[in-house]
Amino acid sequence: MRLTDLLGAEVVDQAGRSAGKVHDVRLVQDGPLVGGFGAALRVDGLIVGRRAVGARLGYERRTMGGPLLVKLAAGWLRHDGRYVAWDRVRAIEPDRIHISGSADDLPRPAAPQ
Amino acid sequence: MKRLLSVALGILTAIGGFVDIGDIVANTETGARFGMSLAWVVVVGVVGICLFAEMAGRVATVSGRAVFDLVRERLGARLALVNLLASFFITFLTLAAEIGGVALAIELATSVNYLLFVPVVAVAVWLVIWRVKFDLMENVFGLLGLALVVTAVALWRLHPDWGGLLGGAVHPAVPQGEGHPSWWYFAIALLGAAMTPYEVFFFSSGAVEEGWSRADLITNRLNVYIGFPLGGLLSLALMAGATLFLEPRGIEPGHLSQAALPTMLALGKLGLAVLLLGFFAATFGAALETGLSCGYSIAQYFGFQWGKFVRPADAPRFHLVAMVAVAAGALLVLTTLDPITVTEYSIVLSAAALPLTYLPILVVANDPDYMGDKVNSRFTNALGTVYLLLLGVVAVATIPLMVLTKAGS
Amino acid sequence: MAGRVLEAALQLLDRQLVDKHGRLAGKVDDLELTFPEGGGPPQVTAILAGPGALSRRLGGRFGARLEAVANRLREGDDDHPARVPFAVVAEIGSAIGLGVAKAELETDRLEAWTRDHLIGRLPGAGDAPD
Repeated sequence: MRLTDLLGAEVVDQAGRSAGKVHDVRLVQDGPLVGGFGAALRVDGLIVGRRAVGARLGYERRTMGGPLLVKLAAGWLRHDGRYVAWDRVRAIEPDRIHISGSADDLPRPAAPQ
Repeated sequence: MKRLLSVALGILTAIGGFVDIGDIVANTETGARFGMSLAWVVVVGVVGICLFAEMAGRVATVSGRAVFDLVRERLGARLALVNLLASFFITFLTLAAEIGGVALAIELATSVNYLLFVPVVAVAVWLVIWRVKFDLMENVFGLLGLALVVTAVALWRLHPDWGGLLGGAVHPAVPQGEGHPSWWYFAIALLGAAMTPYEVFFFSSGAVEEGWSRADLITNRLNVYIGFPLGGLLSLALMAGATLFLEPRGIEPGHLSQAALPTMLALGKLGLAVLLLGFFAATFGAALETGLSCGYSIAQYFGFQWGKFVRPADAPRFHLVAMVAVAAGALLVLTTLDPITVTEYSIVLSAAALPLTYLPILVVANDPDYMGDKVNSRFTNALGTVYLLLLGVVAVATIPLMVLTKAGS
Repeated sequence: MAGRVLEAALQLLDRQLVDKHGRLAGKVDDLELTFPEGGGPPQVTAILAGPGALSRRLGGRFGARLEAVANRLREGDDDHPARVPFAVVAEIGSAIGLGVAKAELETDRLEAWTRDHLIGRLPGAGDAPD
């Protein structure tokens, strides 16, 4: 499977309601050891949102400075992020991911580093 | 002392390297039709290019990464590809225009048809890209480009009505017989000529080519803030010359020789010879820069090794792209498509492509992970935002105006 | 570096690959995710780079054409994009640093082909810039 098979896929709950599209995939470095790299990167969950995001300008990080207007625009774009932990993923189809439970009880993603 | 000399060299090179065929054509045509009423656009354009060139140079110096590399990282592959295709196409058009410009300059000097020189020029441009060291290339053509100062000298010698010239510039008004749409269209062309996308690609890649470090940041600022405005003055000298000679006679410059008229009339054959040297250096230098920029943008988007600071064998695809671009540019000129027309389209389209190019630069220049403590100041951010908004408006207005005015005719 | 958290699209995708000599070796065009045998969430096993991987991301007819060109230029390989096993990744920063020289990577094939058949044949190609 490729990362881009996940990105942009529609996330649908058991009732068929959409939770948005996959904007990003969170990885945690706690898998088995891999060669010179160390612990492997394991998929932890999906960051999902309704608005189409075309740019990864970097404003998710709190340290990021920037022109006010661009910051506000970027903030509005990312405002609706939700987190789907991997254990809630039931099935992966082309462009569609089925999750357990309801689209309404997804937590917000914890702040990234 | 040595430090002072190298700073002076950098500034002089920046002045001489500022003008290219786009500036020559835009300023001469504007002066002939609209007098000095659009001089303010040159000022706006120069401030804009100073702002973003300094930013792009600073980003490349501190982070070691050139513009297009960061464009893809910040916009994502798809949006950056749209940007790449547009920027590459425009840079390629500009390259063809510059090759044509070199050939035209030689034609003016020799009275031999410019088409015959095109293959020679193309081969010469490629050879310099292939073999000549980066800073030697920049210094030689930058300094030779200073010959264009003769336009300012000619203007001085003609004892023009400075008050009239200044008045026309400071109180901009659409002249009799010209429509507002055309006026705005030429404003866009002038802006695009001053702020071409290839300049930031070249400037930021050049910072990496020359191995600039943080110690060079001040030199970078001096080159930009002193060199570019003085170069802009040369553009205005061309505009003023056209205002004085071509506008009253109703001559619409369609040929490079007309841009040379004021200098020839003021300083005779010697002045003309110096001017042609300046035209040659400016266009040849710009052909080198656009050829390299074609290579830089493609290589930096796809991530393969680029630059003249490595052996050609270590950057094969980069050199291949540059070589093919120069050859294709020459072929385009050989189709007898008028180089002046190609220039006109390239500068207008340049203006339309600027927002997507400048946005990632503005963003990355604020990123402390890349810039450390060298992030933008509040003032730079405010000015940068104003320019982005302005360029957005320009981008939207360009094609409709082009259609409305039938490309400024 | 145990437990480090990364966001794939933000911090890995479209980043520059730099080999152990500081040479540029392509971009992260995609990531290969593999489900481990014992079950559980997938792991990142490789970086995919080159026209084969990029074409999938861009999609559409343009993407398919890129892939066709790449397949023609690669010597006798089957239909897979060039992969950089994650084991050779040395560090993840603003660029992705690799622990090997780029000549050892599959992603270098197109570059090597261009060097061997085109650019490398021109006089002066091997001369260091003075």
